Amino acid sequence: MAESLNADYVVIGSGLIGSLTAMKLAQAGASVLILEAGPRYSRDQIVANFRNSPRRSDWMSPYPFSPWAPHPVYKPEDNGYLIQAGPYPYPAEYIRMVGGTTWHWAAHAWRNVPNDHRIHTLYGVGVDWPVSYDELEPFYQEAEEIMGVSGADNTGSPRKKPFPMEPVAEPYAMRRIRERLDPAYKVVTNTTARNSRPYDGRPACVGNNSCQPICPVDAQFNGGRAVAKAEAAGVKLVPNANVYKLESDAKGRVVAALYYDPNKGTHRVTGKTFIVAANGIESPRLLLLSSSDKFPKGLANARDMVGRHLMDHPSTSLTFDADEDVWLGRGPQSPSSINTMRDGDFRKEHAPYRLDFTNISRVDGATTALIAAGVYGAEFKRRLRYSAARELNVKTVLEVLPHPENRITLSAQKDGMGIPKPEAHYFIDEYTHKGAIRALDDFRRIAELMGGTNLRYTRDGEYANNQHICGTLSMGNDPATSVVDKWGRAHDHENLYMVGTGVIPTAGTCNSTENGLALALHTVHHILGGQSGGSASVQS
Amino acid sequence: MISHAKVAHMKTMTRLLSGLALSLAALALCPSLEARAAGTSASDAQLVQQGKYLAIAGDCMACHTAHGGKPFAGGLALASPLGNIYSTNITPSKTAGIGNYTLEQFTRALRAGVRADGAHLYPAMPYTSYAQVSDADVKALYAYFMHGVAPVDTRAPETKLPFPFDIRLAMAGWNLLFLDDQPYKPVPDKGELWNRGAYLVRGLAHCSACHTPRNTLMAEDASQDLGGAYVGPWYAPNITSDANSGLGGWSEQEIIEYLSTGHTAKAQASGPMMEAIDFSLRHLSNNDLKAIAVYLKSVPAIHEAADTKAVFDWGSASDKLDTVRGAAWPSNPDQMTGAQLYDAHCASCHQAQAQGSFKGGLPALFHNTATGRLQTNNLVLTILDGIHLPAQGNGVVMPGFRDVMSDAQVATLGNYLMQAYGNPAGKVTAEQVAALRKGAPAGPGPQVDLVLVARVGLVIAGLVLLLILYLIFRPRRRRA
Repeated sequence: MAESLNADYVVIGSGLIGSLTAMKLAQAGASVLILEAGPRYSRDQIVANFRNSPRRSDWMSPYPFSPWAPHPVYKPEDNGYLIQAGPYPYPAEYIRMVGGTTWHWAAHAWRNVPNDHRIHTLYGVGVDWPVSYDELEPFYQEAEEIMGVSGADNTGSPRKKPFPMEPVAEPYAMRRIRERLDPAYKVVTNTTARNSRPYDGRPACVGNNSCQPICPVDAQFNGGRAVAKAEAAGVKLVPNANVYKLESDAKGRVVAALYYDPNKGTHRVTGKTFIVAANGIESPRLLLLSSSDKFPKGLANARDMVGRHLMDHPSTSLTFDADEDVWLGRGPQSPSSINTMRDGDFRKEHAPYRLDFTNISRVDGATTALIAAGVYGAEFKRRLRYSAARELNVKTVLEVLPHPENRITLSAQKDGMGIPKPEAHYFIDEYTHKGAIRALDDFRRIAELMGGTNLRYTRDGEYANNQHICGTLSMGNDPATSVVDKWGRAHDHENLYMVGTGVIPTAGTCNSTENGLALALHTVHHILGGQSGGSASVQS
Repeated sequence: MISHAKVAHMKTMTRLLSGLALSLAALALCPSLEARAAGTSASDAQLVQQGKYLAIAGDCMACHTAHGGKPFAGGLALASPLGNIYSTNITPSKTAGIGNYTLEQFTRALRAGVRADGAHLYPAMPYTSYAQVSDADVKALYAYFMHGVAPVDTRAPETKLPFPFDIRLAMAGWNLLFLDDQPYKPVPDKGELWNRGAYLVRGLAHCSACHTPRNTLMAEDASQDLGGAYVGPWYAPNITSDANSGLGGWSEQEIIEYLSTGHTAKAQASGPMMEAIDFSLRHLSNNDLKAIAVYLKSVPAIHEAADTKAVFDWGSASDKLDTVRGAAWPSNPDQMTGAQLYDAHCASCHQAQAQGSFKGGLPALFHNTATGRLQTNNLVLTILDGIHLPAQGNGVVMPGFRDVMSDAQVATLGNYLMQAYGNPAGKVTAEQVAALRKGAPAGPGPQVDLVLVARVGLVIAGLVLLLILYLIFRPRRRRA
């Protein structure tokens, strides 16, 4: 099929990070094209889908599934798209749609703590980052100004400029937790990309408490807004363009992206520079699919590093009933946490973690549980009220170390477009497990301070996936153990860059989007010529 | 959103039609051109401060500062059907501004609409209101503009309207008819607060410029003082003391709250009113706002027959969720029902039954003038463009839906809101939405486009009348 799309920069993937990367390049005067596998969908359609969904705690239910751009779906049953090779499941959820997965997120926008960049040197575990905290600091700031981030000042991440805005008002439940845990624990407001005041044309949070699956008023930054900003900057976006291969020449330069439209018509897009931004699973998948005679193992994969070092932030949790009414569900879903275990000498022995308090309304979960237990009538009403008012939940956000065995590969099975499905290989090691054991002490103490009864711990060795897909395109100075250099450029391909959470070398204890965005802005800075290292001046 | 320029444009378009009437009156009245030496020398800090406050009360900044431009350097383009009118540089620059103005010349510009060089201002400048300003306050304003404002030596673009509207002297005749250039005289038995309110409302705050309808010669119709009028696409509502149509049912405190925040349970400002609040009214002292409230509640009631109950008293909490849940969206989005549109776009803030939340922080849509008036333009414009704070970084109070809703959808939603939560006699049409989307002064009923056309015709007829009137008035004036 004849198709003659061409641009200076071709970005694969329209998620938050890909779109903002494209925006920055377009603002610098370049022609930029984004190819997005999924369809375009508007916020109001998602809101309507959500309100109409019979499964409102299933955060994927409002999002369209497109046979031409499949993504994992687990409810009501697993669609088998992401093959689980084990031994531990890695049930990643992500959205293939214009704007990507941050249409639904809790908007956590954490910076690392500085020592996260040096855990090999300091603690003898994992790897060091090729980019120091100080080098990244201006890009964190820029990321926060683009997204509109606020938070507490004392979470261990130094900053040179203030947050762009004050934190969102503290919900009552979080206030009570903070008051009752003081001074044993310091409970602070989370660092989030959520407006506490009108910012960048978006209104302040009004507390719908549906941050996941959808902020209905765009008070929290999301991939949809990132796309809007990119398009306003002149970026051209092609939806329903499922890129299945990058073509390269004899010198290893990428020359074209091939994509399928929904009818499996083939299109070829040429460009000067290619930027893969298709998330931590689809990006390595695309590189592995892009094999050729010269690169039989796929692009950027001469040393078999693509897809390896898959990480997440596994969670264990405790649910209990407080001795007072706190009524979770007012304000944003994830407002407060304890950050005292993010760093310390203990990292030689076990994983660090944050302790996160949920503020998601308990009504849906409690209703489901009561119905399942056969409770009805006046008793149902009484117990639902009790659970909705009293239930609290605290969870760990644990670091996992980068292991080469934890990886995304191509499955022998193919998806509806005839493309090999991604396959996840994953285990959780003793380092992380020991961190979870250590956190049990905190769980017990927190429950005690809240007068907790009916304590329900997750089972030992059982971890929830937090959908923080990172690793798989590891950034590092040594081509033998990494995929891209400190600027996000493939070691072996001079015009191939990668942005997104896949490039993150170690997961730390902070949700991955801000790290991914800061690294992407660092990459853009390099691409646009400002390669001077630590004292990078940020264009905003 | 409707930009500041557009709003100014609406006001101007309305006022400018008056210019049509005046070309024939281009006769004598040639004021002296001699520029007297700049008067005051000493800068009295207190006087400057007082003048600054008064300049805010008069909202001079709104028109005399271009977007992103230096304060009071002018250059804001006020689009009109006849061409752009540019606001002038009123900084104390001697080359580009009013730095050479004497107090007398400044006074004449402010109160009589005549520049130092004798040319008449177009009535985009609300000098018929500013005429009420006292000598003392004019002096303070003069001190502020001479000593409290940084001079900017850049001339604003010159306004060049086509013939015959370029004959500024034509305004003289109109002024003879409609300009009362005597400062406000307190009414002895009304008390200090009332008089202060009257002085502000009629003078610097120039409320009547928008809220009073105009006669066929585009002068404010005194018999309908503050009775509500179209200002371009917006409707500046009745703010007389009528219990149903106006502010009779508002407490003074509610009026103060509205003028200082743009937000009460009964009504929320948007568009040009939010602009006036954000740039000007919210900076006024509580005593001045109270004075305005006291005065407004005394303005003779003008009742609109359709308002069979108070415009903030219509509707009640309800929902039609039973028609939404489980129902698929129609394949043609223009066929979505009002309840579906409400569910997708409005319920997140205004809540399922339009009851609002946070004690009115997110307003209910019933018992709210937003849905209580027959004139639905403001409702449509607010759905399209939301509510912004133009003086505070254009911050979003309510997001607009211009980019995500079609004309048909806005019409469906608007009618749903009026039926379910407001005055069911109020209607919205897709044609109305289409026109308002373009910023055109279209609306339901005969008030707008047709009237404008008719007025042009009337104005031409009025020219003859004016000539006669002028001939009658001229000799008397000269004797006086």
